[in-house]
Order: sequence, then structure tokens, then C-alpha cells
Amino acid sequence: MVFNSLIFLVFFSVVYLICWVPLKNTTKGQNIFLLLASYFFYGYADWRMLPLLIVATLIFYFLGKGIATAKSEKQSYWLTALGVVLGVSTLLYFKYFNFFIESFGALLETCGQHTNLHTFNIIMPLGISFFTFRLLSYVIDIYRGKVEPINDIVAFGTYVAFFPCLLSGPIDRPTFINQLKTVRTIEYNNTIEGCGQFLWGLFKKVVIADNLATSIDQVWNNIDGATGSTLAIAAILYSFQMYTDFSGYSDMAIGVSRLLGFTIAKNFNHPFFALNMADYWRRWHMSLTSWLTDYVFMPLNIRFRDWGKFGMILAIIINMIVVGMWHGANWTFAVFGLYHGLLFVPLILSGAFFKKSKIHTNRLGLPVIADFGRMVLTFMLVTIGLTIFRAGNISQAWSYFCGMSDRTLFSIPDLDGKVELYTAFVSIILMLIIEWFNRDKSLLLSYIKNIQRPIVLALLYSFTLFIILLLRGGSADFVYFQF
Amino acid sequence: MERNQILAEVQEIFRDVLDNEEIELLDATTADDIEEWDSLTHIQLIVAIEKHFKIKFTSKEILSWQNIGQMIDCIASK
Repeated sequence: MVFNSLIFLVFFSVVYLICWVPLKNTTKGQNIFLLLASYFFYGYADWRMLPLLIVATLIFYFLGKGIATAKSEKQSYWLTALGVVLGVSTLLYFKYFNFFIESFGALLETCGQHTNLHTFNIIMPLGISFFTFRLLSYVIDIYRGKVEPINDIVAFGTYVAFFPCLLSGPIDRPTFINQLKTVRTIEYNNTIEGCGQFLWGLFKKVVIADNLATSIDQVWNNIDGATGSTLAIAAILYSFQMYTDFSGYSDMAIGVSRLLGFTIAKNFNHPFFALNMADYWRRWHMSLTSWLTDYVFMPLNIRFRDWGKFGMILAIIINMIVVGMWHGANWTFAVFGLYHGLLFVPLILSGAFFKKSKIHTNRLGLPVIADFGRMVLTFMLVTIGLTIFRAGNISQAWSYFCGMSDRTLFSIPDLDGKVELYTAFVSIILMLIIEWFNRDKSLLLSYIKNIQRPIVLALLYSFTLFIILLLRGGSADFVYFQF
Repeated sequence: MERNQILAEVQEIFRDVLDNEEIELLDATTADDIEEWDSLTHIQLIVAIEKHFKIKFTSKEILSWQNIGQMIDCIASK
């Protein structure tokens, strides 16, 4: 059930009405209902995966209690370790088991050994990477003394399975549970900001990402027949497709949550305005990168702290390979992670890694030339990484780069779907302008709340929705559902 | 060593490592209060504090601090 579908509109309207009419001011009732609605939402995608989600929730709920009430430090350590092993091995089994078998087989073949290894028909549960990370941070944070275990299994279950974030994040931390303990009220500002954020996400997804998808897919399906310039333009457009697809989903999740009275984690902070790669990773998929910073990078960095800059380089390279592999079982993701890890090396050695980048603007409020140049350079480096990310395998990525670097790079690009591309192109420019002038606002379009007349707003939103539907591209699934 | 003395010395390390002479530390100070203090500079601060006081923290100690007060208590307990 995707956000931009009629079935979701019906589902959400029912959830919204039940939460705010019969269950108004009843935190417990709303939580029970939200949990059931979330399980329905998940089961609607694939009901066979519901037992795994429920069993994992129960195990981690009791593990959390066990860690907090353990008789000794050693006992709480081992219970936490058990949680981490359970979470990570579930992920490894469902996402990477066949990959390991295939890679092992390929390695033996390379050594001249004939193998007869079987892969298994494993169905990967949707959203497993997202809810497993929520479960892991719960037990680790209890062990670290950062949160108390919760004595309310319904609230805990809702935290794990909260439907706006279940399939594609953002990955909220256990502090989100506090919002499930308090009374949530329907507020004018929340409602208009929620609707505004949802529409903004919808615009990015259906007008930009979906209009770009077909043309880019066609280029990838015929790399050998495409000119260098076509490949280069498609690579650049893919960066915009990925951003608008994923941040569009996140914005819609933020909007839906707002309408239900929740504030969830921010996932993007205008990554294309980043001045270097470190800056970029502070702005892209922030809920994942901050999760990995806390639970992978920091422990490694602490362990390697006496090795100086070399220790930090090692920690960041391991961390970035984990970031890459988190997306799935393919060597392209590992290379994508390694590539990003290596891009951090000059930043660490020069000390730029430790400084927060500030954008300097001129009289017109635009970035100064030097900063604009750094933004373009960062964008190009990101685009190279995303090309590896998009490829089906390493050799396809290699063919793509080879095709891009021949003489035809200077010919006129030739992409199919001109109308869709022009629509997307104009929309990208519009998006960048709106983002640039609203880059310091926590919720884009929040200035709409100054309009205090509900009818004017309703008309404005309806008109925006009409335009979005008029310009929408072909329906495509969200890229991040597969992770 | 006096707790206040430790706080003053840690403050000096913060000013030195983060290159900001205006930093004033209180028990309740957190990373949100100091712009330059993030997960990266945190490690540099830890290494400098360990060197200065000739102590060694465990990973769990470092990861469990929620404010300066808890960090100072940990140093005082060494």
C-alpha cells in the first residue's frame, strides 16, 4: 500500500477519523488502534511476514526488561549481546543468506573447485532493515542507560510497527515512545503542516521521480547503444530521481505522522546543497546515518581512538561499507560504501571533516561562486556513487562508466520521453528554488500556517493536488521499498 | 582532585580542541549547546581528556554520558 494510492487514501481516512472522533483524547485506545492499523498495513503488503514482526517485537520487549533488571553488569551485557545477535542474524538470514552462498560458490569456482551449492527460496520481509534497526537501538539504548524499558507492550509494538515509517523509515529512536505515552490532540497547525508536507512529498515523488523513472530505466536497459552524453545526463537525472523518490516518501511519512499528532525523525536536509561529502552524509538519509554513527561508527572510533587519524579512517570506511551493504546483498552496494568511505580520507587528513560547513551567500541570497562550485563538485561525486548503486552488478557499472567516458560525451544527448523529461526538469528547478529559500525551516512550507482561513487553504491544497495529478508520471514503486 | 577543578580543566581542553575560547561548561551542558561538539570532535575531546588526566575510559562509559556532569563524575571516579 503506497502513500500515493487510492487504497491508502481510504485506509488513512478511516484511521484518521477513528483516531480523532471516537478515540479522541484516549491515548491507550489510539495506541491499540494504531498498532492494529499498522499490522493491517503491513499484512496488506504480505501477511506471511506478520508473525516475524510480532515475534521479534515480543522478544525485544522482554529483552529490554531483562537488560534493565539484570542482576549484574555482565548479565545485562550478555542479554544486550543476545539482542544484537538476534537482530543482526535475522537481517543476515533474510537479506544476505543467498548472497553469501553465491559468493562462496563463485570463490570456490575461481579456485578451480566445482561446487553444487543451492540457494534458498527466501522471501525478504518488507521493511525488515527499518524495523530491525528500531528494535536494536531499543535494547542498546537500555544497556547504555539512555532510555528506560517501557512497561506497555502496545506502545512498544506501535513504536516498532508505526505504519507511516514501517516500510521505508525514517528510523525513529526509542525516544519516540514518549510521544505514545502522552495525550495527542488534533491541532490546526499540525493539520495544515501535515497536509503541506504530504503534498510536497507527493509532488517530488509523482511529478519528478515518476516522470524521470521511465527515461532513466530505458537508458540503463541499453547502455551499449547510448551515447556518452546520454549516459551522463541519465546519471545526473538518476541522482534527482533517487532524492525525490526517497525524500518524497519521507516527506509524506512526516506529513501523515503529523496528521496523527506525531513528530517523526527528519530524513533529509537539502543534500544537494552540501559543500563536501561529510556535509552530504549529514544531510542524506539522516535517520540511517545518525543510527549507524551511534551504533557502528562511534563504538569503532572509540575502540580505534589511540590510532589517530588512521583509526578514524578505518572506522569510517567500515561504517560506510555497512551503509552500502545495508541496502542489500550485492557487491555494487559494498563498492558504493567503499567509494564513499574513501572519499572521506582527504577530508580527515586535511581536517575538513571536523569542521561544519557553512554556506556563504551574496547580496541576492544565492551561494557565492566558490560555494556553488563545491556544491556542484559534491553533486558530481554523489552521482558517480549513485551510478554504482543503480547498477545491477559491477560489470554493468563499469560498462556505464566506460560508455560515458568516450568521445560521444560531447554529442547531443538522446533520451526518450521528452514531455515527461521537460516536466521533471522544470519541476526540479522549481524544487531547488523552493528548497534553497526555505533551507533553514524545519518543515518546508511551514509559512503556510500564516494563512488562518481554512477555506483559502483547502482551496490552495486542492489546486496543488490537481496540478500534481495533472503532471504525474507513470506509477512506479518507491525505490527504498526493496531495502 | 576537586570536582570544580576537574570541570575547569575539562573546560580548558574543550576550548583548546574545539578552538572556541567562549565555551563555558556547566554540569547540564550537552552537545546540543556547543555547535562544534559533535560525534567526531567528541573522540578528539576524549583522547585529549584521557591524556591530560592520564586515565582510560571504557567504551560503555563514553557512550552513556548524557551531559558534562556525568563525564566529570566519571573522571572523578578514576
